[in-house]
Amino acid sequence: MREATGGVTLFRGLAVQRRVIGALLIREIYTRFGRQSLGFVWIVAEPLVFAVPVLFMWSAIRGSHEHGIAVMPFLWSGYLPILLFRHLGGRVLMFITANAGLLYHRRVTILDIFVGRALLEIGGNYAAVIASFALFYAIGAIDVPRDLPMFYLGYFFMTWWSIAAALIVGGLSERSDWVGQIWMPYSYMYLVFSGFFYLADWLPPTLRYVALCQPYTQAYEMIRGGVFGGAIKTYGDPGYTAFVLAVLTLFGLWLMREGRKYVVVE
Amino acid sequence: MIRVSGLCKEYRAEGKTHRVLSNVSLTVNRGEKVAVLGRNGAGKSTLMRLIGGVEVPTSGRIEREMSISWPLGLQGGFQGSLTGNDNMRFIARIYNKPFDYIRAYVDDFAELGRYLSEPLKTYSMGMRARFAFALSLAIDFDCYLVDEVIAAGDQRFQRRSHEELFERRADRSMILASHISDIVKAYCSRALVLHRGRGKVFDDLQLAIDIYNEL
Repeated sequence: MREATGGVTLFRGLAVQRRVIGALLIREIYTRFGRQSLGFVWIVAEPLVFAVPVLFMWSAIRGSHEHGIAVMPFLWSGYLPILLFRHLGGRVLMFITANAGLLYHRRVTILDIFVGRALLEIGGNYAAVIASFALFYAIGAIDVPRDLPMFYLGYFFMTWWSIAAALIVGGLSERSDWVGQIWMPYSYMYLVFSGFFYLADWLPPTLRYVALCQPYTQAYEMIRGGVFGGAIKTYGDPGYTAFVLAVLTLFGLWLMREGRKYVVVE
Repeated sequence: MIRVSGLCKEYRAEGKTHRVLSNVSLTVNRGEKVAVLGRNGAGKSTLMRLIGGVEVPTSGRIEREMSISWPLGLQGGFQGSLTGNDNMRFIARIYNKPFDYIRAYVDDFAELGRYLSEPLKTYSMGMRARFAFALSLAIDFDCYLVDEVIAAGDQRFQRRSHEELFERRADRSMILASHISDIVKAYCSRALVLHRGRGKVFDDLQLAIDIYNEL
């Protein structure tokens, strides 16, 4: 029953990591939602509780069509990615310090803790996407996306962006308190400039060029292209988006690793 | 074997850098029990956290050729809002040990009874110490990092810890941070004396204790 010493192969390393992440995931569910079975329902319900009232409210205020496209699918495909971004980012603020106790176990790395949290948020968000789609589809408010592969691609990029942003925010928040301070205003401003409210096609050319530099706006273009198909003109560029996100992810991973140095464990 | 060489650790607070450990070296062989002596704030717990890999050193090297427990102290390593059982489940998953075995061992050694299904934050210091120590013995490491925990338990717990570490696991190593010389004498053969972040290893334990008492 002895603990093995160092010198693990990559294969064993991966097996250990999978086990650690699994254990963290279960622990996260217990600590966040309690041990009652209702806790698991909350993972899906939490994003839904945010999304459904807001979507109904907006579509009631704004009428059914805008710029010639249906408002409900436009808002639906805009708001759920916002929740993904906000919840992932919000969850990782100072998360190393908050989970420093876990670092007592040398097998647990900060990346494991991050992955555990991210998986839970992403899983909850995807479940909410499906549940809210089913709900709105049942009442006839939205249709099946016209170009499903494009929709999936867009959502994949949106998930990737949310992960990269969370890595950066999480890593920076360990160094400096004001990252936490600007996170709130930033995540509200994000509503305006992200592409939630607009299509690149509606913007004047110069502004459109600037907007399309943003990877999340690119992802929104692809998501909207997926939802509405040929009915609208979109500008998504998967190659550019993947490149920018890869750079941001590497930067985030580096910050995260550096952040470890700043952690003081009680 | 654990080889610590030229270890330094600095913390930044209020814009100032504060050096807690300065060029500390130490070698621990298999089966050796080494004491770390030092007054409050000498850097004992920091050294334990660095050896355990909880924090990373500012400079210096730590080579670990043995599996090392997490630092067994009066706090840390557990989630207070989770029950003893849930904490054990988490540890069992991480180290890939059967939960039933871990539970049975901890139940027997720590004698916490029904408290195992209570949140850890309701435990007393002594209970926490017993829980942490029993759990690490159940996982079975090559080297135990013990930070005052043994001193926190009662007589019976101290006797059983002694049995476990010396009779049943004589080949295991231990680094024991303490400032109680009786406990150090009962457990260790060598000592590292820490003073203001600097450290010196003594092969003569009594000499180390005498010097520590003079500090």
